[in-house]
Amino acid sequence: MRVTGMIPLCAVLFARFANGSAPATPLPEAVTTVLEESCMDCHDRKSHKGGLDLSALSKDIQDPSVRERWIRIHDRVDKGEMPPRSGEMSAADRQRLVTTLASAISNLDHREIAAAGRGPLRRLNRVEYERNLRDLLHLPYLEIRSMLPEDRESLRFCKTAGALDMSRVQLTAYLEAAAAALRKATVSTATPPPVTQYRAVGSRLFPGPGTFGTEKAMFFARANRAISRKEFEGRGKGEPYPLEQDADLELALFRSASWPYAGNPRGFLAKFEGEYRVRFSARAVVQLEGQRLEPALRSIAMTFRARKPTGVDVFGEVRATGGILDIQPERAVYETTVYLKEGESIEYSLLGLPMPLLTELKPNTAPVYRFPPFPEGGQPGAAFQFLEIEGPLPPAEWPPRSHRVLWDALAPGAVPGAPVEEARRLLCRFATLATGRSLGEEALAPFEALALARLEQGASFHDALLAAYQALLSSGHFLYVREPGPSAEPFAMASRLSHFLTNQRPDETLLQAARDGSLRAPGRLRAEARRLLEGPHFQAFVDDFTDSWLALRHLRRDEPDMRLYPEYRMDDYLVESMELETRAFFAALIRENLPASALVQADFVFANDRLASHYGLGGVSGSQVRKIPLPPGSPYGGLLTQASVLKVSANGTSTSPVVRGAWVMERLIGQPPPPPPPSVPAVEPDIRGAKTIRDLLALHTQSKECASCHSKFDPVGLALENFDVFGAWRSRYRGVSEGEKVCGIDRTGKDFAYTLASPVDPSGSLLDGTSFQNIHDLKRILAANPRQLGRNLIHQFTIYGTGTPVRFSERGHVEAILDACAKDGFRVRDLLLALIESPIFSSSLSTP
Amino acid sequence: MNTPHVCTRSVVLSRRTFLRGMGALVGLPLLESMSPVFSRASSPAVPGRMILISNNIGFIPKVFFPEASGTGYSMSTTLAELEPFRRDFTVFSGLSHPGVYGGHTTENCFLTAAKGPTKSGFRNQISLDQFAAETLGPRTRFPTLNLGVNIDKANRSLSFTQDGVLLPAEDSASALFRQMFVQGSPEMVQRQIRRLEERGSILDALLQDAKRLERSVSALDRSRLDQYFTSIREVEERLEAGRRWELTAKPEASLPEPKDIQDKKCFFEKFELMLSLARLAIESDSTRIVTLMADAFATPAFSLREDGNTTEGYHGLSHHGQSPEKLRQLENADRHHIVLLRRLLEALAERREEGERLLDRTLVLMGSNMGDANTHNNTNLPILLAGGRFRHGQHLVFPHDDNAPLSNLFVSMLQSIGIEASQFGSSTGPLRGLERA
Repeated sequence: MRVTGMIPLCAVLFARFANGSAPATPLPEAVTTVLEESCMDCHDRKSHKGGLDLSALSKDIQDPSVRERWIRIHDRVDKGEMPPRSGEMSAADRQRLVTTLASAISNLDHREIAAAGRGPLRRLNRVEYERNLRDLLHLPYLEIRSMLPEDRESLRFCKTAGALDMSRVQLTAYLEAAAAALRKATVSTATPPPVTQYRAVGSRLFPGPGTFGTEKAMFFARANRAISRKEFEGRGKGEPYPLEQDADLELALFRSASWPYAGNPRGFLAKFEGEYRVRFSARAVVQLEGQRLEPALRSIAMTFRARKPTGVDVFGEVRATGGILDIQPERAVYETTVYLKEGESIEYSLLGLPMPLLTELKPNTAPVYRFPPFPEGGQPGAAFQFLEIEGPLPPAEWPPRSHRVLWDALAPGAVPGAPVEEARRLLCRFATLATGRSLGEEALAPFEALALARLEQGASFHDALLAAYQALLSSGHFLYVREPGPSAEPFAMASRLSHFLTNQRPDETLLQAARDGSLRAPGRLRAEARRLLEGPHFQAFVDDFTDSWLALRHLRRDEPDMRLYPEYRMDDYLVESMELETRAFFAALIRENLPASALVQADFVFANDRLASHYGLGGVSGSQVRKIPLPPGSPYGGLLTQASVLKVSANGTSTSPVVRGAWVMERLIGQPPPPPPPSVPAVEPDIRGAKTIRDLLALHTQSKECASCHSKFDPVGLALENFDVFGAWRSRYRGVSEGEKVCGIDRTGKDFAYTLASPVDPSGSLLDGTSFQNIHDLKRILAANPRQLGRNLIHQFTIYGTGTPVRFSERGHVEAILDACAKDGFRVRDLLLALIESPIFSSSLSTP
Repeated sequence: MNTPHVCTRSVVLSRRTFLRGMGALVGLPLLESMSPVFSRASSPAVPGRMILISNNIGFIPKVFFPEASGTGYSMSTTLAELEPFRRDFTVFSGLSHPGVYGGHTTENCFLTAAKGPTKSGFRNQISLDQFAAETLGPRTRFPTLNLGVNIDKANRSLSFTQDGVLLPAEDSASALFRQMFVQGSPEMVQRQIRRLEERGSILDALLQDAKRLERSVSALDRSRLDQYFTSIREVEERLEAGRRWELTAKPEASLPEPKDIQDKKCFFEKFELMLSLARLAIESDSTRIVTLMADAFATPAFSLREDGNTTEGYHGLSHHGQSPEKLRQLENADRHHIVLLRRLLEALAERREEGERLLDRTLVLMGSNMGDANTHNNTNLPILLAGGRFRHGQHLVFPHDDNAPLSNLFVSMLQSIGIEASQFGSSTGPLRGLERA
């Protein structure tokens, strides 16, 4: 098996080697001889085809950028791509060139790893830093991520050691974030904040008798009929709000929460930050013409949103909390826990319903709200009977655990009798908790000196110690993770493993295994990895890895074009469901140990009600995303055709086979296309509907120069043309002027009109001549090479898990892992565990 | 309580030579010797300055935008007052921030272009002024000044940090004046210096710790640690710059300290006062970047010369629903904004620096996050750019139904003051059609 699709080593990473006094490492003579004979016709100073002039290319592979070029040359010759005509290089010459190059580069690689380690010290990224502080301080809701600058992405991940820079901006931010976290951890009162009990019935369930979006968006009902607005009139100053004790009233709600809607129960504000228990009674209903209610046939999904109530038309910070609940047609009591900041309230947030916006129906008339027409069977919504809020829920002990981490048994506000000794003791204790190991007196000295100097200058005990804590949390001990390597302490290995599989610092079990050396015992690392994969923090790995690998963090980047895709306008529930599917799918790849071919082909999807209807599947109700078998002939199944992947690889208005093809080849297949030539502009889609993308891309196949690269990825994109910008199936393109007109009213109440233009042609042929008619064919072709899919996963896991991509000399290890996993069909958990046990993960030198 | 004093004897602090010999005010700042440390932008020979103004209700589009495009256009009703400055400004139509909608909620995104402000989990991002200041470094006493008129300080601002944290606006003219021109008492200065010193002692601990760490790591690691050392040193340098500014005499003001206008009704009087302070800040080189949000949304019925008081608050008026009475009042208010802008341009045109009009060295942006407040529309924003080194004098038009990103204009502005940014916010490049003079 040949090595293909190697992700290029990040040149930046090793740039430091180029400096300094390292001796030059020239390539052996044999290389030059073969090149002279077979390559100089095209790659000399005069022609330098493809930008490669071999006569000018340095032979000193010590220089990382030079080495990068030679690795490229090695790979292309090895694959037989170069020289382009087979007669130009004899088989023996090819063999000689490839092995000589490979051994020269590998030898150098080995020397480097032996001298300096596999990769550099890695700074924690801001997500890890926040998670580690949450864990250390027992503050699960701590938010300091946003105080830290966004981390640079390299090779698609924010975990790449060479790109996690440090600057004055970062250092200042880490210092401030540490201070903020420490403040949050410390309490000043002798008892927890008092618990508030709140209960709303009747008109207290909602801020007013109506909301934005006409009377169809929300009303109060009695016996399944809207009550008259008159019942709310006649309220004088100082009089109680009408009907606020009327337990027979139901709040009937038929719109989703979005600006400018404000849907918080009247008269509740969180006085203190913390968790609050919410208990409420509700049922799923449909609204019929005339504001009448009937029980719904299926459930409706809702969540709560936390925000500070504001005046009309204004909107502050808002966030979903409490998870998604499915309200059933029968009246029932639901309970959830929400997290609120001081001054916040909660608002009802029904998912997937209309969101009326102010619209000028005719130019220069007063703008109005219009509720979109009801679907057949009535407008789904929910009716609420009562709502109770209780909190902040007191912690199990007081002072809370966060406080004890810093101050041990010292009561809030208390000052110890022997401050110097106590400062020393607490600092040492905190340092051990924070770093997971005993640092030793010498390492603690600068921090101790800091605290003691402050004390001497007259600072309070509290402030003096906090300064030292703050410094410690911004120091290398807490902020950097080190390479494991054979000589390093076992803690480094524990830390690497936990940051990989839980995106945070090691837990106590893992630390213990590092301390007593048992982590080095055969099989223990694998056992620990399995334990973490089954543990509570596995989801953090799933989220963070897919955020980068599949760009889920950019899922909300592009809004659907409201002219072409009115049905997706402001459909946050759909987008959220897409995200849930991909996360659930990735989790299943590992926990169910699915074969790597599932990346491109599977006979199931993970879907909920909204996504199932998006995929044209019937009979799924409820918001819970779960595994659903696909009927034969469905184009879905596998990451390749998941809505999230199809959405992030489009732009909201149009799809491009070029962009999608390159996206899939790089991320899913692991064969990234070379960068585009500098002077060629991107293809601009024609949204009038007159020209298809295929017309526009004709040049890519007609011109030999374009085709040499584009034929590697355009075809994959073409097969995906049957999926629109949100991943729904389409057989015709949409436009704004050409074709058959479709009109209606969208979710916001605005008129829309688009056209159905030319039909989609998803056929094409791959580089090797294999032709395909549609996505089904393409999936079969891609799934037939599971080894490449598995190889790509190992590469992606390596970057994410070690902060350094697979090095040239480690390619053999990758192949060895693949060999070992081949007979079971390259199952994803097998690959992952094998990687963890390989020398790549432990940064040790051993020849494959 | 801590008594403000300076400790120079501590072992930890003794290395910090700059802490010695404090107490006397240094007569003149050593600006020239300080700036090389900070210059990350290619430093232009001429200081680039910006005054960035937004009114969060905006203008009535029909009477704001001129009918014709290009250079020979006739002024619209609203812009008529700017005729004398025709060659000194450009009016734009067809600009907006892609993905930034949600009516008034977009007001905090005017200079940031952060998408989806009404969405759950929204986080703002760095604003134009902060981006410019970060890049240019602290060359002036205030890297930027962020001002407001009638502003709801806790919730609204034009200025956001790199992390999307709101930087509260200063809405008191007298407080601003004091910050710029009135020397603090020695005690205040000492207290401030002590705060900087405390941060310095934490950096000392980090430096010692990192040096220890350096002994035990590989060559590769050392390259990462170098960054850490550099960061410590740079933060220290900034602390020192802060300390020097504390000890530097403030400039003389050309005007007496103003009295604050408390009455929110006097919207335009307050606005004019803030604009004159913005001008003073620029003239005295106290800062080179000023933002100003006129919070019309938070403005109740206000006084308008022609009308006495308006019939209702600014926000109520903005939802005019085509009522002629409301439209008339709003049109007057719109025109008054332009009168204030004209006065600012006049003042900047009169003032000379190295033989050049200050206006030619100062970009003045006026605009709004609302394209049409009546319908809560956030496209086709009213945008005006005056001053600086651009070939002005035109009405530059982009498609009404396919707007160009406003961030493109921001990129052009940044580049014109010597910041080689190729990207900002949602930009796709500099703004096409706006040429440098």
